[in-house]
Amino acid sequence: MGQSESTDVLQVPQAVVEVNLAIISAESLLKTCYWFSRDFVCDVRNRSELIADVVLTPRHVTSAFDAASIQEAFTTSAMDFSLREKIEAKTSGIRDLLLAKAFSESGVLEDQPEGMFGDIIEETKPDSMFKILSNPQR
Amino acid sequence: MARVFYPVERVAPAPTEFHLLPFRFMRLHGKEVLVNEAGEFLFVPTGTVRGVAEGHLDNGSDLYRDLKAKHFIYDNSSSALLDVLAAKVRTKFDHINGGTKLHIFVVTLRCEHSCDYCQVSRQTATRGEFDMSTATADRSITMMMDSPARDITLEFQGGEPLLAFDLLRYIIPRAKTQALERGKNLDIVVCTNLACVTDDILKYFRDEGVKVSTSLDGPAFLHNKNRPRPGNDSYEKAIEGIERSRAILGMESVAALMTTTSASLDYAVEIVDEYVRQKFHSIFLRPISPYGFAIKTRHRTGYEMERFLEFYKKGLAHVLKVNGSGYRIAEVYTQILLTKILTPHGTRYVDMQSPAGEAWSVLVYNYDGDVYASDESRMLAEMHDRTFRLGSVHKDTRRSLFTSDPALQLFQASCTQALAGCSDCAFQSYCAADPVYHYSTQGDMYGNRPTSGFCNRNMEVIKQLFSMIEENDHDTMRILWSWITGEAVKNEVIECA
Amino acid sequence: MRLTTTGVSSNFEGSIVGILATEDMPIEQRETRIRFVPPHDASFNAADENVAGYRAILSHDALESSPRMPYVHLLRESAHLRDGDIVVLEGQTGLVRSLYRPYELHHHLFVTERCNSNCLMCSQPPKDKDDVDALTVRNLELIDLIAPPPPYLTITGGEPTLLGDRLFTLISQLKRSMPDTELHILTNGRTFAWPEYARRFAELEHPKISLGIPLYSDFAGAHDFVVQAKGAFDQTVTGLHQAARNGIRVEVRVVLHRLTIPRLTKLVDYIYRNLTFVEHVALMGLEYTGYTPRNIGELWIDPYDYQDALEEAVEYLSIRNMTVSIYNHQLCVLRPSLWNYARKSISDWKTLYLPECKTCEALPACGGLFQWAVKKHSDHIHAISLQEQNPTRLC
Repeated sequence: MGQSESTDVLQVPQAVVEVNLAIISAESLLKTCYWFSRDFVCDVRNRSELIADVVLTPRHVTSAFDAASIQEAFTTSAMDFSLREKIEAKTSGIRDLLLAKAFSESGVLEDQPEGMFGDIIEETKPDSMFKILSNPQR
Repeated sequence: MARVFYPVERVAPAPTEFHLLPFRFMRLHGKEVLVNEAGEFLFVPTGTVRGVAEGHLDNGSDLYRDLKAKHFIYDNSSSALLDVLAAKVRTKFDHINGGTKLHIFVVTLRCEHSCDYCQVSRQTATRGEFDMSTATADRSITMMMDSPARDITLEFQGGEPLLAFDLLRYIIPRAKTQALERGKNLDIVVCTNLACVTDDILKYFRDEGVKVSTSLDGPAFLHNKNRPRPGNDSYEKAIEGIERSRAILGMESVAALMTTTSASLDYAVEIVDEYVRQKFHSIFLRPISPYGFAIKTRHRTGYEMERFLEFYKKGLAHVLKVNGSGYRIAEVYTQILLTKILTPHGTRYVDMQSPAGEAWSVLVYNYDGDVYASDESRMLAEMHDRTFRLGSVHKDTRRSLFTSDPALQLFQASCTQALAGCSDCAFQSYCAADPVYHYSTQGDMYGNRPTSGFCNRNMEVIKQLFSMIEENDHDTMRILWSWITGEAVKNEVIECA
Repeated sequence: MRLTTTGVSSNFEGSIVGILATEDMPIEQRETRIRFVPPHDASFNAADENVAGYRAILSHDALESSPRMPYVHLLRESAHLRDGDIVVLEGQTGLVRSLYRPYELHHHLFVTERCNSNCLMCSQPPKDKDDVDALTVRNLELIDLIAPPPPYLTITGGEPTLLGDRLFTLISQLKRSMPDTELHILTNGRTFAWPEYARRFAELEHPKISLGIPLYSDFAGAHDFVVQAKGAFDQTVTGLHQAARNGIRVEVRVVLHRLTIPRLTKLVDYIYRNLTFVEHVALMGLEYTGYTPRNIGELWIDPYDYQDALEEAVEYLSIRNMTVSIYNHQLCVLRPSLWNYARKSISDWKTLYLPECKTCEALPACGGLFQWAVKKHSDHIHAISLQEQNPTRLC
C-alpha cells in the first residue's frame, strides 16, 4: 500500500502513502495523521473516491530520512486504528453496560445467577429454598 | 442413585463462537500488549489482535483460555461474569470514592530562599501582608471538613510555613477538634525547608502528631545550586533540620522530596546515593515542573523530556542496584505506575489520576482564601492567570466550588477515556489526565497528545516498566513488589515544591 | 484413628447422642452421658437401678443382664473410644459413630452427604439421600454436649449450604452456645451466587465465621470438568463475590493434581485480580481416598514433579502479600523454600508415617501422610538430614 517519492526539486524529502479508503476509514486516517503530526506535516489528497494520498513532509530535516520505513510505520498505524474501530464497534454496547454496572449502586444492575442448581433433591421439592431465593417476593 | 463421571465434552463443551469485551492494544517489543477495561494486560503474539477482532481463534489453545480468563473475550460456553469485571473496573476508580482527601493550606508566601523555579515567594514581605488571616483559616478548615472523605490530609505549604508558625498553632488544634466532631481521620503534614526549625517547633509537632516533609535535591553542590539562600548553606541547613526532626519526631515522620531542575538531570546516581547516605527509604524521581519560568518557552519540553527519561532510567537502575545490595529504598514514580499496572487498585497520588486529581482529590486554600484546583493552578494565578481559581472560602460552599465554571471546564478535560489520543491508548488505565499541565504548556486544557511532554514522559516510562515486567527477572520483580506492598512508602505521596 | 464400629442394639430405634463415661458418675451428671463399658470390665453392674439416668449403655462385651434402657453391646472394636468422646448410637443398625473427641486439635461438624457438585477427587463421595433433617437433629444435640468449646470448628459435608435454613439454625445455635469458637465452612460457594442467600447468611452476624471455597482453574471449562458440574465455575466465582460483598470472610482452596497444576500460577493470578478480598489461599495435596482411586489415572502427578509450578505459584502470592499455606505435603517432597508455608494439617485420625520417616530429622515439623498413602504416595519420600538444609527454615 505504499509508494516512495523523493522530490529533489524542493530539497525537502517527502514520503507518500497510498491509502485505500475502502479499508481505512476517514477517522482512522485522521487519527494516524494526528500522531504523525508531531514529526510530519500531513497532507491528505483524495486521488479518487476510494484512494487518498497522504504526503508526509518532515518538520525537522535529518539525514536519516527513510521513506520506506515511514510509509510502513504510517500504514501499520492506520491499520491498527482501523482494527481499533472494528473492536470499538463490536464492544461499545457491552462497554456501556459494563461501566453502568461499575458505577451503579450495588445490586441495582446485577445479573441473576445462571445455570442449574444441580442438586436432585432440592430441585424436586415444590417449595424448595432455592426457588424461594430466586423469587424473594413470594 | 449411583453417580456417573462425565467426559469433558459433556460438562465443559467447547464454545461455538466467542465475543469481544472492550480492550485497547499497543505494539511493544515485537509483541502485542492488550489491556482490558479493568487495566489487566496480556502479552500476545503479533497478529492476535486481528485474529480476535475478526473472530479467528483456536478455542482449544492456551491463548484462548488466557484471553477468556483475563476478560478480553467471552463465549457461549459460560458466563461473561460481567459483574465481576464491573467490580474490577470500580476498584480501579476507588481513589475518587469519598471526595477530596488532600487539602493544601498555603499559610504564607514569605520565604527566605530565592529558588529559581519558584515564583510565589516573597522574601521581603512583612508579616501579615501575605499571611493567611485567622478568619480565612477558620473558613478553610470548615471547607476542608465539608469534604465527604473520611480520611483527610491537611498539608501546610508556602512560601515557608514555619515562618508563620503561630498560624500553624492556631490551625492545628482547631482542625483536630473539627475532625473529631465530624468523624474524620486527620493526618497533618508540614512541607518545609527546615532552615529555621527549632526544637520547640519540633516538640510541638511531635506532641500533635504532625509529620514533616522537606526538600533534598541531592548532594550539597546540587541542592545549594537549586536553592540560593543568604550564606549559601541550604543543604547544610536541610541536613541539620532532617537530623533534628528525626531525633524528635522519629525516622518515619520525616520524608524528603526532590525538585528536579535542569541541573539535576546529569546527576541521577549522585542524587540516589545522597538519599541512601541520609538513610531515606524512598526517593521520588519527579519530572521537571513545567511551571514557573519554563511555561514561557513552550517547545522547550521536547529536549528536556529526553534528558529526563535518561535521568529516570539511570536513577531507577541505580536504585535497583542499591536494593540488590541490601538497602531498601523505593522509587516512588515507579511504585505509583506499577501499582496501577500490576495491582487491582488505582493510585491516590493526585498527579497521576484519571479523572485528573485537580479538585477531585486535592484542593488548595491560598493565604487570601482563594481556592484552587491544585498547587500549579495557584502558581498560574500568581502569574495573573486565574483560569483554575474555583472560588473563595469567604464566598463559596463546596457545592458552588465544584459547580463553578472553572471546575466544570476542568472536569470535561479530566478523563483519559475522553481525550484525543488517550481514548485509544493501551495505557489509558495506567496514565492520567492533567488539564492544568496542558493548559500551561500548550495553551489548551485538552492538550495535543503527540507534542505533550506529559504523554511522552509517561508513555516512555510505562514502556520501560513493561519491558521489565516481560523480562520477569526474579530478583528485580521481588524488589519492585516490595515497593508496591511495602509500608516504607505510603500510597499517599506528599506534594511539595 | 477409627471413627465407627458396630454392635448389637436393643431397646431403641432412633439415634442417641451422648458423652462417654467410662466410670460411674453421680446421678445428677448422668443425663448427658452414655455409660461405656470397656472390654473385661468386671466392675460394671448392669442392674437397672445402677444405670438409671444415663442415656444409654455401650458395652464392648455382652451385657449379661438385660437392662430396660437403650444399649449397644458386642462391639467389634472399642479401643478407639475414650472417656469424654461424644458418640451417636443408631438403634436400627447398631452403628456407633464417634462425633467429637475433645483431645483432638481439629473438629468437624458433618452436616449432610448431599452435594450439587461431584468432584473427581472428592474425599467424601456424595449420596443423593435426604439426610438433612436427621443429621440436623443429631448435630443440634451434639452442639449442646460439646464442652469446653473448642477454638475452631469446621462445618463440612457434602455441601453444607444444601441444608437451607437448617444451616442457619446450626450456626445460630453455635453462636449462642460457643460464641468464641471460630467457624470454618467448607462449601463450593455456588449457593452464595444467589444474592438473597448471601444476604441471609450475613444476617446471622456470626462474629467469627469464614468460608473455605475450592477453585480449580482460571478457565471455566477446566474447573467445571474437575467438579463435574456445568456452570459451577460461574456460580462459585459469583458466590465468592456475593459473599465478600456481604462482609463474609472467604478463603480459596486448590487441590493439586494433574488437572490443576498446569494453570496453577494463572489461577493464583486470577484469584489475585478477581478475588482480591480472599483472606487465604490453601494449596492442598491430593488424598487417595473417596473418588480419587477411581480417577487416579487422570489425577495423579507425583508432588515431587510439580515443585516448579508450586514454587512459582507460592512466590506469586507471597510477593503480593497474600497469605498462602500448603497442606497435606510431606517436607521431603517439598522444596525447602516452601517449608515455611507447609502446615501440619492432617486430622489426627488420619496421620501416618512410613518406615522411611523413622530416621527423618524433620519429623516433628512434618505433617506426615494420610492413612491411605500406603497405597499411593510420592516416589520420593525420604528421610531428611537437617545439616543439608538450613535448619531455621522449619516453621
